[in-house]
Amino acid sequence: MDSPHEGNAAPDFLLPLWRAVVAFRLIAWVVAVAVFVRGWDRFPDHRIAIVLLLLMAAWTAVVTVAYSTDAGRRSRMAGYDLVVTVAFVAANLLTQSAAALSDGAPILTSLWATGPIFALAVERGRDGGMIGAVAIGAALIALRQKIGDQEIFNTTLFLVAGVTLGYAATTTRRATSVLREALAAEGATAERERLSRSIHDGVLQVLAIVRRRGTEIGGDAAELSALAAEQEVALRSLMTSRPTSSGGQVDLAATLRLRATSRIEVVTPAGELMLARRTVEDIVAAVGEALNNVVEHAGSGARAWITAEDLGDRLLVSVRDDGVGIAPGRLVVAQESGHLGVAQSIRGRIADLGGTVALQTSSGQGTEWELTVPKARP
Amino acid sequence: MTRVMIVDDHPMWRESVARDLGSRGYDVVGTAADAPSAVRIAAAVRPDVVVMDLQLGTTSGVDATRDIVAAAPDTRVLVLSASAEQDDVLDAVKNGASGYLVKSASLDELDDAVGRTADGDAVFSAGLAGLLLGEYRRLHDAPDDDAPTLTERETEVLRLVSRGLSARQIATRLTLSHRTVENHVQNTLRKLQLHNRVELTRYAIEHGITDDPE
Repeated sequence: MDSPHEGNAAPDFLLPLWRAVVAFRLIAWVVAVAVFVRGWDRFPDHRIAIVLLLLMAAWTAVVTVAYSTDAGRRSRMAGYDLVVTVAFVAANLLTQSAAALSDGAPILTSLWATGPIFALAVERGRDGGMIGAVAIGAALIALRQKIGDQEIFNTTLFLVAGVTLGYAATTTRRATSVLREALAAEGATAERERLSRSIHDGVLQVLAIVRRRGTEIGGDAAELSALAAEQEVALRSLMTSRPTSSGGQVDLAATLRLRATSRIEVVTPAGELMLARRTVEDIVAAVGEALNNVVEHAGSGARAWITAEDLGDRLLVSVRDDGVGIAPGRLVVAQESGHLGVAQSIRGRIADLGGTVALQTSSGQGTEWELTVPKARP
Repeated sequence: MTRVMIVDDHPMWRESVARDLGSRGYDVVGTAADAPSAVRIAAAVRPDVVVMDLQLGTTSGVDATRDIVAAAPDTRVLVLSASAEQDDVLDAVKNGASGYLVKSASLDELDDAVGRTADGDAVFSAGLAGLLLGEYRRLHDAPDDDAPTLTERETEVLRLVSRGLSARQIATRLTLSHRTVENHVQNTLRKLQLHNRVELTRYAIEHGITDDPE
């Protein structure tokens, strides 16, 4: 089984946990030496106990090196550690008779054997901690050949410690990856701002100058001027729009700003107008229909303004053009004849959002749609 | 003759605007490429109108606007910016600029805007009106009892400006005089500037800045 977090490559925040695992193992070995010295009389063969202690020291050195390097932490060292440590627990049978062990004789690996529980917990999270605790608990029970209060107490303690540390490690790992994403996003924003500044200083200025001089010179140059003007508006709206979304919410202001052209001005507050994605989609669709209406009916040379205003619990969105306007009655005729007329479609969309639509128009004075939409979906 | 100063870090743009405004009968009395020299020159020549870009190389047109308005109270600042940064525009206006025009505006629009700025009117684009509506909303939601608020009429006027209506069209629609509409628009700006100055003063006092904040 591969670690599910393999791709994350040694998150820095886990380092303190790994250091703790290593320090614990070293201290636990010293405790094993103390157990030996204190229980000197109860060990029948001191030479075998000393050999076991030295082998434990050697293995402690191996895992210390492994857990202190990136490559070691990424390998499956904690798993091997568990297997080897269970073998060490069994090796206590060489230092004591089975009867003595069952009788509560001191064992050298007592605290030291819990090391892999913590290593597994840090490496593989909750499940690792649990597997380690069960394995070591079972090994100790097998060694003592009984399930007494002490064995149950120890195993429970191993489980609590392993699972808790596992959770902590998983949380730390997630926090690290969230932080990484945030840092990457911040870097991208900074880069965008840097680009934005340099575009301002260079491209936008030049486009503005071309536009200005082109209009003055006239003729073919006026055509160039108009092209430059279009690109200038397109660039500016691209730079100011941050169609940001988070948690199912989308910025209405930024989304509307993408509609700007040299004929259409988009007016919004400076910040974001975060709304549910579907609300934004419906509003933008309604605005789009009103704009199509401008293109078809307002006449050439008409300009349009899209505004979005925050009213606290509601939004006020308007689309206005300075074109010829809709003759009185034409909208009603379209609606009555059953066509999916522009008014019906816009009203339908906004009504679904729990909002209202007001239309102000008269022949020769342009058209003004006013959409009032509650921020919360009905 | 209206005396105009042009502040922009692009030499070609400065010359172009200076020539254009000259051809429309304005007296271009100075130009500057960065904030410190803009403040120095404006304080010395006291122009009627400063046409101000907001991004002046490494220096800021917002700072220049604030310092010019403080040093030469009779001078009015018209922001003419290619800036896509709405916060910069809002800051410039809060710090004393009396109008805002995008650089893509035509010469006729620029001529008109400089003339109106010299007359003491606020030059509002639809975009600026939208920013101000947003700023008043932000202040309304902020826990500050001293925050300025708009009257219903002012909100109505500002909203129509944000929809691209001219002062004359607004006057017709609301059956007000043209002058009254202009006054409403100016008031929305003045309240915000006054609030900003009070805030700066309060900040200065709270942080023990001993210079006379005025």
